[in-house]
Order: sequence, then structure tokens, then C-alpha cells
Amino acid sequence: MAAHSDPHYDGLGHHISPVRVYWLVFAALLVFTGLTYAVSFAKLGPASLPVAMLVACIKATLVCTFFMHLKYDERFNLLVFVSSLFFMAVFFGFTMLDVASRALVDPIEGYGVYEQYNPPAAPAEAAPAEAAPAADEAPAAGH
Amino acid sequence: MASIAETHTGPHDGGHHESYLTAKRGIASWLTTVDHKRIGVMYLASILFFFFVGGVAALLVRTELLNPGKDLVEHAVYNQLFTLHGAIMVFLFIVPSIPASLGNIVLPLMLGAKDVAFPKMNLASYYFYVVGAILFILTIVLGGLDTGWTFYAPYSTTTSTSVISATFGAFVLGFSSIFTGINFLVTIHKMRAPGMTWDRMPLMVWALYATSLIQVLATPVIAITLLLLICERTFGIGIFDPALGGDPVLFQHFFWFYSHPVVYVMILPGFGVISELVTVHSRKGIFGYMAIAISSVAIAFIGFLVWGHHMFVAGESSLAATVFSFLTFAVAVPTAIKVFSWIATMYGGSIRYTTPMYYVFVFLFLFSIGGLTGLFLGALAVDVQMHDTYFVVAHFHYVMMGGTFIAFLGGLFHWWPKFTGKMYDERLGKLSAVLVFIGFNVTFFTQFVLGSRGMPRRYYTYQPQFHTLHEISTIGSYILTAGLLVALVTFIKSLKSGEKATANPWNGMTLEWHTESPPIEHNFAEQPICRRGPYDFPEIDESAAGARH
Amino acid sequence: MSDSHAAHGHADAPGNNSPFFQHHFVTMTQQASAAKLGMWLFLVQEVLFFSGLFMFYIIFRYLHPDTMLWASEHLLDKTMGGINTVVLLFSSVTMALAVRAGQVGNKQHQVTYLAITIVCACIFLCVKYVEYSHKFHMGALPGHFYSYAGNIPGEPQTFFALYFCLTGLHGIHVIAGIIALLWLMKRSARGDFGPTYYAPLELTGLYWHLVDLVWIFLFPLLYLIH
Repeated sequence: MAAHSDPHYDGLGHHISPVRVYWLVFAALLVFTGLTYAVSFAKLGPASLPVAMLVACIKATLVCTFFMHLKYDERFNLLVFVSSLFFMAVFFGFTMLDVASRALVDPIEGYGVYEQYNPPAAPAEAAPAEAAPAADEAPAAGH
Repeated sequence: MASIAETHTGPHDGGHHESYLTAKRGIASWLTTVDHKRIGVMYLASILFFFFVGGVAALLVRTELLNPGKDLVEHAVYNQLFTLHGAIMVFLFIVPSIPASLGNIVLPLMLGAKDVAFPKMNLASYYFYVVGAILFILTIVLGGLDTGWTFYAPYSTTTSTSVISATFGAFVLGFSSIFTGINFLVTIHKMRAPGMTWDRMPLMVWALYATSLIQVLATPVIAITLLLLICERTFGIGIFDPALGGDPVLFQHFFWFYSHPVVYVMILPGFGVISELVTVHSRKGIFGYMAIAISSVAIAFIGFLVWGHHMFVAGESSLAATVFSFLTFAVAVPTAIKVFSWIATMYGGSIRYTTPMYYVFVFLFLFSIGGLTGLFLGALAVDVQMHDTYFVVAHFHYVMMGGTFIAFLGGLFHWWPKFTGKMYDERLGKLSAVLVFIGFNVTFFTQFVLGSRGMPRRYYTYQPQFHTLHEISTIGSYILTAGLLVALVTFIKSLKSGEKATANPWNGMTLEWHTESPPIEHNFAEQPICRRGPYDFPEIDESAAGARH
Repeated sequence: MSDSHAAHGHADAPGNNSPFFQHHFVTMTQQASAAKLGMWLFLVQEVLFFSGLFMFYIIFRYLHPDTMLWASEHLLDKTMGGINTVVLLFSSVTMALAVRAGQVGNKQHQVTYLAITIVCACIFLCVKYVEYSHKFHMGALPGHFYSYAGNIPGEPQTFFALYFCLTGLHGIHVIAGIIALLWLMKRSARGDFGPTYYAPLELTGLYWHLVDLVWIFLFPLLYLIH
């Protein structure tokens, strides 16, 4: 309807990204997916979760910036979206503060949830517990 | 006609525009309307109906408590009655009360917009409300609910009453609330009249803005919580029930992450109403406009950081409890800013003793008590003593009923001429305010005493030493009911034989007074342009005197 | 934020002669930006809706790291999850291209890209179906229905509750997305969308990308645990 002289903007004056950008972002996403998949086979131990989350965050940022157009959108929409992450962090943070610290201040009264499931005597039993999964791979008969 | 707006056609010569009430006729035109005013009226009728249902349940509870032991009903029925009262009042009355009824009608009018941003979504939100309400009624039919309105696990995952229909009802009502919130936020951001900058918005709009923020941010969490509760009941997934390896305190975290902010969904719109009423009926510009506006948003924000104060004795860690207690006191700061600003607004004003102003006085008195007793409960050591006693019951009734409900009634009286085009009988209105004030205090102040002496909440029977106080409280609830009936009579009488209201009976300056009473279908005959602040009354601004005619 | 109010000059503003222009807005630009803000707020709602399940995940992983590790490693198929990730990412790029086709007013491209997006969504669901039926077959089910014969440490029935809740809720969102995409395809084919009116495409696009975003986090959290 509206004649648009500038190919970078549509009839409402919003930015139009070149097709090439979308495919480049897609390629980057594939690379990161491959990376996170490959890394999952490397035994990184406690570092594996932060690495996986870092990669996921980079991927999410790419999707938000280019596919969801946050780069060219009104700044306020970015604030709106980031605020949801903030309040999610509040929810996680305070709840974990409680769950993780129930036994901290008063170890007798506040016998922690974590300790209930993971008795303090763990060091002695740690080795069998580690080995158990491998041994149990064959379905236990009669269960 | 002094107003913050200037248009070429004033309200008087817009006679050829039909009012929203008469523009279209027939039931179908109401049920399929996308007009925010009609949707607001439908909400108003629905929430008043549920207020009546919840109120009857409350009266039955109070009557049962007249004597220890059985008066009217068995203990199992009593458990269902107080649950019904709580759940209906919270989910079907007080959460949607001011925003979805009064707010829906006045918000676009105050902004100088033709409608909310998404009119169809507004109607959808009403129907979500209806579906949720039907599910609640279904709950009563299917065997009732006896968990209390809080649905605490593991009782709610094991009781034989109809938890699933009730929680699913609350789930659906949650989406009604979210849709209203999204609609209001977008309307406020995108649909303000030309010239209406953020510092010229009426304080009611600021309050609704803060309310909507909470609705959008907190409600989804209760939605997923209730789904998880349903899954726990159906599949035994083991998240909340300790018998299945879950953590019941975790349920309370999930629940109060929503339900604490939502108490600000209940009270913030009340603050907004009071800000309008106090300034219009005192004929004086609001004291501390920006302070009140920003404190609404501040309350909404801090409200997200304090939910753990509901769980001080529930097994929460001492560290978390300390942090939550500390943060709880922070809420008192913006709240006190508001109360002091309202009082300072009245100081030196020219107060008109109208019914809405009577309700403002009632609000200030009751809300201050409710707010201050909240500090007792936020203090760790005191809460250990007071938790789950009548002290808590009295506290939240002072805030919810003495605050929100009183503001709702005051606002209803204030905007009644605008909604219906009819005036009401001031003497009857004032009588209702006085009776409500007396009845309320007799009912609930007694409960502070009961609670501090150790009477636990939700109990069917009690020790003989509490008998007199329970009797006084029950008698108070009858006086309160009488006051509310007088208000009802006032409204019915006004509808039947009230004299015709002018466009601006209170000489308000906000835009809703700039269109006819009742407003025309598209709100304004011509797009209003905002040129002044919302409370720049001509009496106090000599330079505006020339604009009056 | 309030710059979208043009007090005067309506009929000549771009898009105001569109049949989809709603009378309570002043300009089409205002209508489009209101719709988009509404969608972003809806996405905020979605994020917090999912946050409840992620909270469940965090707590469970904190309390039962061994269960999670074992169950994920032995009973979830990384390759299936990986295929689904690629499929969903691809559908995201075709969705974005469909929105772009709306912006430039290319009807043929809109329909084609939407169709590819729908096909990808269906492939995603098919892979999920294969994974689910495998778990049903083994009895690796939530809560009371758990009957897996293997001896998994900790609380495996809760792990599968978590797995089914997270992927199930995500799957429901995929299904809702397919319905919205089918509706869009009908409207695109009719030629509703052009440079001044493509809000439904854009909003559904935003929703679809959020569904993708959730999966971007679910994949490493559920399938790639070490």
C-alpha cells in the first residue's frame, strides 16, 4: 500500500533486517548447539553446568536480539523483557536462600532439607553410591 | 466549565451522542460488548454478587462463633464456610474489585482515550472471570472445599474435598487478572491523550499502573503453582507432599510469591481511589503528587521481596526469615508517605462532607490501624506469638476490608453519578458510612484483643474466656451488615428515583468529568487535549478563574 | 514512550486506510506498537509461568543431583534432544523470515515460510512422541505411575514428573503455536498482511521465538547433564 522508498524500513518505519542476517544468526546458533552437545561428552565435572548455561544464554541473546528484533525495537520492550528475568531471579534467589540455609543458623532446630536426603555420614557411603548406578544398569529382577 | 482539558465541543452540546447505557439495547449487546464501560459494569454486577455470597458465608461463620461448640452447622461445614468466604472474597471479589470494575470504567476516561488498548481481550478477561466463577460454584456443588483459601499442601493434596475444581477456577481467574493487567499497562503507555505527560496522570492511573505490573509479574506463578498442585493430587509427582518426597514449605514459597504481591493488587487501587477522593472533596491540590505516584510503584516492587514473612513459623530458615522480616519493614516507608500526603492534602483544604469524603475518613482510620499492626506481624519475635491467631485475621481485615473495600465503596459513591447519570441520597450514604465504621471496628478490633490473648484462627470452637469477645465481634458483624444494606438501598433508590447528575457534580478536574454523565459511547465527542495537572483546582489557582463559565 | 500520539492528521498517516485499523487508536503506528508492547508483556507472563517449573528443577537438582545425573544420562536421548533443538532453531529462522516477508509485503514468501515453520513444529512433536512412547513403554512415568524396573538412586519418579511437566508444558505451547500459525497462513494467503499491517505475524513470531528460547534452556538442563 504505502510506497516505501527505503528498503531498510517498512510502511510503519520499522527496520527490516536483510535475509542474510537471519541465516548468519541461524548458523551461529547451530555452531553453539553443536558446541554444547560436544562439551556434554567432555567430563567437565562441576564446570559443565555453568558452561552449558553460558552457551544457552548466548544463544538466547542471539534469538532475542535478531529474531525478536530487540536490537531495533523500542527500548522499553527490552526493559519489559529483562524485568521478567529480574523477577524470576528474585523468585529463585529468595526461595533458594531459604532451602539452602535451613540448617545454617540453627543446625538442631532447622535440620535442613538437603541433609535429610543426603545424610552427613555420606563420606563413608560416597563410594558405593557413586558406583551403584553403573551396577544397576541391568534391570533389577523382581522389582 | 473549568477543566484540565480543552475541546471545541463541550459536554453540553453533545446531545446527539447516545450514552453508553442506551446506545445499544438488548442483553446480547451487553454480552458481546467491547466497550470498557459496559464490561466494567458487568464486572461490577458480578463482583457485587460474589461479595454478597462471600458476605453471607462470613455472617454464617460469625454466627456459628457466637457460642463455643455448635450453633448452626457442624465443624466440617464450618471449615467449608470459612474457606468459601476466604476464597470467594479473595479470588472473585477483592482482586478484580477496583481494577476490573471501577478501573475498567474510569481508566480510559481519565486518560482521554476512546477505549482500552485491546477491547476484545478486555471482554475475554471478563469471560475468563465468569468461567472461573462457575468453577468455584461447581466446587460447592461437588463437595465443597475445606483447605482455607491458601490451599496449603499437603492437606490440599490429600483432602477428599473438591480441590481440583477450585484450584482450576483460581487458575482461570488468574488469566483474567493477567489480561486486565496487560491491557491496562498498554493503555497507560500508548493511549494517553495528547499533552498527558506522566506527571499529569491522575493518581488513580498511577495506582492502576502499579497494580497491573504486579498482576502481570506475579499471577503466572500462582497459575503454575496451582497446576503443580493439581498434578500432585492426580499423579503424586512429589514436589509439595513430604510423604512423596516433596517440601510443603516450597508450596508456601510458590504460593506467597504470588499471594503476597497480590495483597498490593488489592490495596494499591484503593490507594488510587483515595488519592482522587481526598483531593477532589478537599478542594485542594494533592500534597506530594510525585511522592504518591512513585510510592505506588515502590510498593509494587518491594512487595515482591517480602513474601517469606508468611512463613516465619512454617519451617523457613532463620536466615531467610531475618532477611524477609527486614525487607517487610521497608514496605511501611512508601505506605506512610501516602498516608501522610493524604492528611497533608486535607490540611488547609476546603473539605466537603460528602459520602465519598466520609469513606475517606473511614479508610484513613481503618487502614492506618491495619497497616501499623502489619509491622507487629512483620517482627519475627512477635509473629511467633501472633501467627495464625485472630490478630492476623483482624490485621488483614483492617487492610483488605477497612482499606480496599472501603475505598471501593467510596469510589463507587464518587463515580456513581458518572456511571449512571443519577445522584444518590447523601444522608443515606453518610448513614451507611457511619454504620460501616462502627460495625467494622466492633467486629474486628475485638479480634485484635482475641488474637493477642491466644485465640487461634479457623477454629470451630473456643475456650470459655473468649466467649464475650466473640459475642461482641458477632454483634459488630451485624451492624456492619446493616451499614452495607443501607449503602445498597442508597444505590437502588438512586437508580429508581435519583435526580439527574450533571457532567461534573464534584467539580473534579480529571478527564472523566469532562464528558457527559453517563459518558457517551466513545467517551468523548472530540479528542480531549490535556493542558494542566489533574488536581489544579480553579479555587486555588487564580489564573484559571477566567476559564470558568 | 508516549511519542506515538499524533494529535492530528489521521487519515493520511501510513496504514490508517487499512481495513484492520481500529477506530480507538489514532494511528496505525500507535496500534502496532501497542500490540507489540502487549505481546512483550504476555511473554513476561510466560517467562514467569515457566519459572515455577524451573524452580522445581533447581530444587530437585539441588536435593537429588545423583538421581538427575543418572536418569538423564541413561533415560534421555541426547541425540533426539539435539535433533529437536536444530529443528526448532530452524523453525525460528523461517518464522523470522515470514515476518520479514510480511514487512516487505511478499505474500508468496509469507505462506511458504509459515508452512515450513509448521512442518518443523510437527517434526518436533513427532520426535517428542517417539521419546514419550519410549518412556511410557519403560514405565518411566511421574509419581504414582512410575514402574521402571531399573534401580535409580534417589527419587526417580519425581525426576520424571519434572521431565514430563517441563517438556509437556513446552509441548502444549508448541501445539498452541501451530494453531496460531495455521490461522496466520490462512490470513497470509488471503493477502491480509503488508508493509503497514503485519502485527499478527510479528506477535506470533515473538511467541514462537519464546517457545524456542525455553527449549534452548530445557535442552542442556534436561539432556546434557554432567
